[in-house]
Amino acid sequence: MISAGTLHVISTELTIGMFALSGVAFLLCLLEKGPDTKTSVAHWALIGGLAATPFAIITGVQAAPGEGIDNPLLANKLLLSMAATGLAIGLGIRWFTGAEINRIHSSIGMVTVGMILITAGMGGEFSRGETLLFFLPKDLVILFPIWASIVIMLCGLAMIGKSAIHRG
Amino acid sequence: MRVKVATVLLVLILSSTLSTANPGGEGDGIRSRDCAGSCHADSSSNGASTANITIQFQEHVYTGLLTEVTVTISDTETAYTSLIGVTLLINTNGAKDLPAYDGWEIVADHNGGTNNYVESTASSGNMEVSWTLRAPSTGTLTLYAAVQHGSPTGNIAMTGISSPFTIDVEPVPENLPRLETNWEPPATRELGEETTIILETTDVNSYLVEMRIGTQITPLEVTDDEFTIPAASKAGVVEWRAILSGEGPDQTTPWFRLIAEEPSWGVDETSLYMQGFAVLLLFAGMVLILPKSRKEETMKEYEQTSIVREMIDLSTPVASTGPPLPAGGLPPGWTMEQWEYYGHEYVDPNKGGLL
Repeated sequence: MISAGTLHVISTELTIGMFALSGVAFLLCLLEKGPDTKTSVAHWALIGGLAATPFAIITGVQAAPGEGIDNPLLANKLLLSMAATGLAIGLGIRWFTGAEINRIHSSIGMVTVGMILITAGMGGEFSRGETLLFFLPKDLVILFPIWASIVIMLCGLAMIGKSAIHRG
Repeated sequence: MRVKVATVLLVLILSSTLSTANPGGEGDGIRSRDCAGSCHADSSSNGASTANITIQFQEHVYTGLLTEVTVTISDTETAYTSLIGVTLLINTNGAKDLPAYDGWEIVADHNGGTNNYVESTASSGNMEVSWTLRAPSTGTLTLYAAVQHGSPTGNIAMTGISSPFTIDVEPVPENLPRLETNWEPPATRELGEETTIILETTDVNSYLVEMRIGTQITPLEVTDDEFTIPAASKAGVVEWRAILSGEGPDQTTPWFRLIAEEPSWGVDETSLYMQGFAVLLLFAGMVLILPKSRKEETMKEYEQTSIVREMIDLSTPVASTGPPLPAGGLPPGWTMEQWEYYGHEYVDPNKGGLL
C-alpha cells in the first residue's frame, strides 16, 4: 500500500517537472532564441503540468496532517495555484486558437510557472518548515467575502465571453 | 551567449554544497528506523552519531495501564538548528519496528501527538523527550531509542541507536489503585484556557495531584474528582501527575504533559474555494482578452489587394500585343491569349503561319 505522502511526491515531481520545462521554453520564446519547437514544448508542457496538477492537489490534501485548511500556507497555496491554473488555461486556449506568441504571452507563461514553483515551495515550507522564499508574506491570507468573489467571477466570465466573441 | 550561459550554470553547480540531511527536520510522524530517503538521504550515506542515548521507565509497568518512557540524549553534535529527531522502536531491523507491533499504544508523545518519531531542539547537545504509553499484555519486551540529526558541517546526516532496554510488563495486582483502563489524559490546549480534568479511577480512595513547571512542583486542589490546571499565557508545557491511594499500594501516575498552543488557524472554506475559482476565471479571462495578434491586425489594415485588383480591372483596358485581328475575328479554336503570342505566325505564312 502506497501512502498518500508518497503519491504526493510522485505527482508533485511530475507537475513541477512539466512546469519547469515549460518555463525554460517560455524563456526561450521571450528571448526569441532556440529551436522552432520551443513554442510547442512550452505549451504542451504547460498543458501536461495542468493535467497533473489535480493529482498533486488531491494527494496533497490526503497527505496533510489535520483536517481541512487549518494553516495560512495551505490557503495561500490554494489561491496561488488557482491563479496560476487560470493563467495556464488562458495561455493554452490562446495558443490553440492561433494567437501570436509574443513577448507578453511568453512573459505570462513565465509568471505562471513562477507561481506554480512558489506554490510548491510553500508546500515544502509547510511540511519541512524551511524555505528560500522567507521574504514572502505567506502567513497573510487575503480573503474576500463571498459577494466579492461572485463579482470577480462575473468579471472573469465577462472577459472570457468577450474574448470568445472576438475570436468567433 | 552559449559560453556565458554554460559558465553561469557551472558557477551555480560548483557553488552548491553537498548535504544529505534535512536540517529543518521532517516533522513528527510514525516512522521506522530505516526511513532512508523519506527523511534523510540513503541510509548508507549516514554518519554515526556521537550521542549517548538512555531510556528510563517507571519501576513497575502494568499491563493495560499508562506508563512513561523518557529518553535522555546527551553529547550530541548537531547542525546549527540543534534539531534532533528521536524514534521509539522495538528492534533494530529497520522494518516492523514500531512499538505498536509489540502492542504498545502511544497515548501522547513529547509534542502532544501520538507519534513514535518526534523532533525537538537540543540545548548544548542535550535533550530529554518522553512518551506516555499504554503497556501491552504481560511479558518481557525490548525498546530502543534512535536519533537522527544533522552535523555541525551540515554535509551529512547522523544516526544512532541506544542499547536495548528490557521491560517486564506485569499483570495488574489485585486492589491496585489505578486509572481506568480507557481513560486518557488531554495532551494539548489553547492559550488562555483553563483545563479541568476529571480523573476516572479504580480501587482509589483518595488522590493528590501535582503540577510541575520546569522543576517547580505545585499541589493542585481536587474537588469531587476534578481539578483545574490554570490557563497558560504563553506557549509551553505543564506536567501533572496523580498519587493514587487505596487498599493496595500507593501508585504514582506518569508525568502527563499538557501543551499550550496558539489557537488553531481557521478559515471559511466555502469563501476560500469560491475565491479560488473566481481568481481562476479572472486570470484566464485576463489572458484571453489580450489582442490575438498585433501583426495580424496590421496585416489586415494594409491588406488592399482586392481593392487594387478591382481598380485595375475597371479602369485599365488590357492592351493587345498581338497583330490586328482578321476581319472575321479570332480564327476558330484560338483564344485571345494564343493570338497575342502566335497571331503573327497566323498572319505571315513565311514564318510558319497558315495564311
